[in-house]
Amino acid sequence: MRRALPLLIGLLAASSCLSSGLSSTARADDALSFPVLVPLTGFLSLEGTSQRNGAVLALRQTPAGIAIASEVVDTGTSPEAAVTALERAAGGGTIGAVAASMLGTQMLAMLPLAHDLKLPLITVSGTASITEQGNPWVFRFFPGDAVTKAAHARYVVEELGKRRPAIIYQTTAYGQSGKTHLDAAFKALDVTPVFEEGVDPAAKDLLPVLTKALAANPDVLVLHLHSAPTALLLRQAASSGVTLPIVAGSAMHQPSTAALLEPAELKGVCAETAASPISGDSPEVRAFTDAYRAAFGKEPDAFALGQYDGMTMALEAVKAGARTPDAIRKALSAETFKGLAMTYKSDGKGNMAHSAVIVCYDGTSRVPAVVKRYDDPALAAK
Amino acid sequence: MAALQLLVNGVALGAAYALVALGFVLVLNATSAVNFTQGDLVMAGGLLAVALAPLIPLPGIVLLPVVLALMAALGLLLALAAYLPLRRRPPASVFISTIAVGIILQNGAAILFGPEPRAAPPLFGDGTLSFAGLAVSEQSLAIVAVAAVLIGSQQWVFARTQLGRRLRATAQDPEMARACGVPVTAMILLTFAIGAACAGAAGLLLANRYFVTPASGGDLILKAYIAVTVGGWGSVPGAVVGALLIALFEVGVSSVLSYPAALGALYLTLLAILVLRPQGLFGEAVRRRG
Repeated sequence: MRRALPLLIGLLAASSCLSSGLSSTARADDALSFPVLVPLTGFLSLEGTSQRNGAVLALRQTPAGIAIASEVVDTGTSPEAAVTALERAAGGGTIGAVAASMLGTQMLAMLPLAHDLKLPLITVSGTASITEQGNPWVFRFFPGDAVTKAAHARYVVEELGKRRPAIIYQTTAYGQSGKTHLDAAFKALDVTPVFEEGVDPAAKDLLPVLTKALAANPDVLVLHLHSAPTALLLRQAASSGVTLPIVAGSAMHQPSTAALLEPAELKGVCAETAASPISGDSPEVRAFTDAYRAAFGKEPDAFALGQYDGMTMALEAVKAGARTPDAIRKALSAETFKGLAMTYKSDGKGNMAHSAVIVCYDGTSRVPAVVKRYDDPALAAK
Repeated sequence: MAALQLLVNGVALGAAYALVALGFVLVLNATSAVNFTQGDLVMAGGLLAVALAPLIPLPGIVLLPVVLALMAALGLLLALAAYLPLRRRPPASVFISTIAVGIILQNGAAILFGPEPRAAPPLFGDGTLSFAGLAVSEQSLAIVAVAAVLIGSQQWVFARTQLGRRLRATAQDPEMARACGVPVTAMILLTFAIGAACAGAAGLLLANRYFVTPASGGDLILKAYIAVTVGGWGSVPGAVVGALLIALFEVGVSSVLSYPAALGALYLTLLAILVLRPQGLFGEAVRRRG
């Protein structure tokens, strides 16, 4: 065991070095710091990487005359790692704002510390409860489930005219939250789902749940799954000859999800999301998408754009004269900001994003078109 | 008909799981070490196929021998780094070191490939064949065929060749094997190589239909562990049967009840087997080595 321990420590140190290879640092003595503390490894690494890239791109485009520093830290998936990262960042000079993990459990762990340290947290986490803590230091630049699922349900009922949805959701916290809000949104529209079932993310074959869903005689399939399970279910639906319309959750809009499928398998598939940068429905969004591709060699998604907008709003506050975290917090709380994805305005709790879009694939490419936009759909559904 | 369709899917999935469990049990037999890197080796095999696909723009079956060879080399490295330096230490040392290697593989894969889910090329084609109303994907058939060939040839080597006898001798009693002139260290290295190659094959087979990410090895090692426990700790046929049972549970029970219920039923069944038949279905006990 005496020989095993140094070896184990060495192996873990090597692993840690590999992880921190994802980090970057730039410092100037009088600079405001904007740490990026996001999950780059673990089950949320895909979304966390998008978040990191969006924040980094915004910080690279800092307005002239403003000196900033930034450091990227991988928070993994544990709340402890996120808290440690925030504590470490707080000891590294004057912080302007923190790009904080989109993992809800990590956000909930960081919130009390952010309150004590008086640091604004800018996130794209969808977990509803992070803005229900009475904490004035959190700002969510991504529509929560109350918004996106209301748009999801409204599109199914109002635009497609369907009233017998079969809901397939993930058994994770993300899936449970989405399912709860979908139920509420359908109920508000006087629609009762004919089938609902949760699926474990580790499930390899989704034909059983698809078979059962079809046996309930639905007129539409409504999905709220992570990226790979979404692609897996769509592929199995296509190979089974399913012709029902499918309206998926936001994981579908991610280019990496569409990349797993042939364009023909995507025909007639729609999805809710906050935005679809690759659909490029404005010159500014197209410019962002081009810059993102050039910087990271990847396609951007709504998480990247939301985090970009959030960091840009904070930098605009700095440009307008805010030089302390509290001044930046006040600006985020009070100002209206026209971002690339939407116009952001705090509801008093830190919820900045109140719009959602529906994108659809035509079966000829992996780039969806924005077919419907909902501004504050949750309010409209009530 | 739907039940038959699900059975076909279950058998295809089980065949791939069997390869994962097979690699796991081979290393277990040869070294008494629980190799918790096995799931991450499956992930590595899948991502290796993804990386090779643009370089060798041919069907996956052409990639298979390349993946097997490269994964065997990775298995040798694993043995040299995480097992041989600790072989005379308590089993927990190897157990922990393989977990550490798994973490390194996951992070290395995340850096090299990014976090996106990816698909490996199909073995032959990605069409669907129809048999009497059953829709069977070519990939499913290929998975079953390749797994059967790999498992069968491995059984043949173990049962019918001098090399196999040496491997079995090493697994049964390394000290006695060494006294009889068997190069035990070389046999252990070879076992790790074969185990990693099996994992690589499973990775290639699974990554086309079910995709692969750097984090996707975690649930596979759990399934391999359960398969080996159900089948009989140390039994090669037991590992294969255990893997098939897990897949049929996953597909069959979930089609009647739900996925959470299928998982619950699987663990309850595992518990029942451990209580009623602790040696597993095929009952080959593994002797503790002092």
